[in-house]
Amino acid sequence: MEAAGIAKDLGHGAGQIRALKGVDLALKGGQLTLLMGPSGSGKTTLLSILGCMLTPTEGTVRVRGDSIAGKNPEDLAKLRRENIGFVFQSYHLFPTLSAADNVRLALDVRGETGRDAADKSRAALDRVGLSNKTRNYPRQLSGGEQQRVAIARAVVGDPSVILADEPTAALDTENGKSIMAILATIAKDPGRGVLVVTHDPRLVPFADRIIYIEDGLIVREESGGAQRRS
Amino acid sequence: MPLVFTLAFRNLFHDRLRFIATVIGIVFSIVLVTVQMGLYLGFGQMVTTMIDHASADLWIMPKGTKCFEDPSLLDTRQRSRALSIPGATEAIPVVIGFADWRSPSGSSTPVFVVGSDLRAGGLEPWNLIEGRVESLSTPNAVAVDRTYFDRLGISGLGAQAEIRQQSVRVAAVTDGIRSFTTTPYVFMDVDRARAHTGVPPNKATYFLVRVGKGADVEQVRRNLLASLTDVEVLTPAEFRERSRQFWLFGTGAGAALFAGALLGVIVGTVIVAQTLYSSTKDHLNEFATLRAIGSSRKYIYKVIICQALLSAVIGFSLAYLIGLLVVRMTASGALPIVITPGLTMALFLLTVVMCVVSAIAAIMKVTRIDPAMVFTR
Repeated sequence: MEAAGIAKDLGHGAGQIRALKGVDLALKGGQLTLLMGPSGSGKTTLLSILGCMLTPTEGTVRVRGDSIAGKNPEDLAKLRRENIGFVFQSYHLFPTLSAADNVRLALDVRGETGRDAADKSRAALDRVGLSNKTRNYPRQLSGGEQQRVAIARAVVGDPSVILADEPTAALDTENGKSIMAILATIAKDPGRGVLVVTHDPRLVPFADRIIYIEDGLIVREESGGAQRRS
Repeated sequence: MPLVFTLAFRNLFHDRLRFIATVIGIVFSIVLVTVQMGLYLGFGQMVTTMIDHASADLWIMPKGTKCFEDPSLLDTRQRSRALSIPGATEAIPVVIGFADWRSPSGSSTPVFVVGSDLRAGGLEPWNLIEGRVESLSTPNAVAVDRTYFDRLGISGLGAQAEIRQQSVRVAAVTDGIRSFTTTPYVFMDVDRARAHTGVPPNKATYFLVRVGKGADVEQVRRNLLASLTDVEVLTPAEFRERSRQFWLFGTGAGAALFAGALLGVIVGTVIVAQTLYSSTKDHLNEFATLRAIGSSRKYIYKVIICQALLSAVIGFSLAYLIGLLVVRMTASGALPIVITPGLTMALFLLTVVMCVVSAIAAIMKVTRIDPAMVFTR
């Protein structure tokens, strides 16, 4: 995934602000990238654009070489379901579905149904250590477990990019570390890039690369703890 | 089970109170439509019951006759002319009219006299439970329905009364021949009917024409129309339709029933739409999540439509059971509610259409959904 010269205006008239002021960013396969910055720095706006949910005012985003410019909402949705997995701060699991069904949902929207989809969902839950909780509903799971279900949902379709928005913000330190460890493991796949938006410095040891954003501009980029260790 | 269905089912049952309200709305609406349409069918059947039970290939009637109960008269010379038409083997006179029935206790009530040539069997009483049709040929003999015993002030077979100051005797009793006007039918021989209704001996209300084997009914009709003056010649189906049109639409009764049914549909649609809309609003976060993870709009519409269809099936099933109960309760009433397989199918389709139409507001809501909202909630 590549973003070049991304600018984004939000609001209208006198209230309009430029949330992003020309951001260049390329997510590389096999890397966990942290996007860090203070509140209001443009992290979420950038994540929404990279996630093909918002279109930039200026600049281009390419997903596997395919530009999102001029695409309609349905085409963007197709791009998302085929290429991007999402992990949200507040999990966004379906309370009326079991863990397995929550994961299966990501396949169902792609038209993958039946036994194969069920097997893939179980495998994804197994990968995040929840093989014994496939039938549990979100209310029967801890925060950390819910986030692991969300990660399983993000990876089950084997996307080339995973975008995670403050995935540990609602968790205690132990669970946060556990979630980051899972994401770091997922990022080892050379065919997949993982971008984690956070303002939590405790996540730095898990990152291969850290990008700092302030006032809508990337101000610094450095190697993370994982990169230094390797 | 498809996940779309599971999701729709769970969304629906998640808030049970709201689901119950939806089902009550659908049931109320469909029962109302069932009753109105059942009354329409029941009324439609009752107004043609005499035509349905008459044995005729063609009906000769005075020009402008609007319905079976229309008391206009024909001259009996028309009958002789009718019988001269090749293919017309019989032309049975029928006389109808309102008269006053005086019971042995002295109380009086209006009745509707139906007289036919009983030897020819044109329009005889049916569903006899006591007595025989042949006994109506005996002096003063009449047939009445047991439903009206109280109204007529009699207790059954052999009871004596008076019509137009002339003595009558109940010689046969029927079951279920009820009039939608609530005026009891009294069957008798045609000559006696003339005497009881004041119709002159050379007059009749209808001639029921029977066509000989192999004769072309349409040709006979054309010949009858060419030969007779100031008459109309209708097939039973045409006369049935004319009577229905008059009573249901000429009087406004049908329009009133349809208006009630329409009201039911509107109320049901509004209730279901409101519920689906608020359910969608409650699950907006989930729909936004679906959109964020790449679901097409079609997928989300499927969930909402599935919710609407589930509501329709559950609501209709309950409404149908209540409808059957209402049919049972009104079966022996003055105006029974009739539910036919066709009406059942139509009501089911109506419920489905009503619920799917109700989903439009919810669909419009999710159409405008912004998937990026998942990052801010």
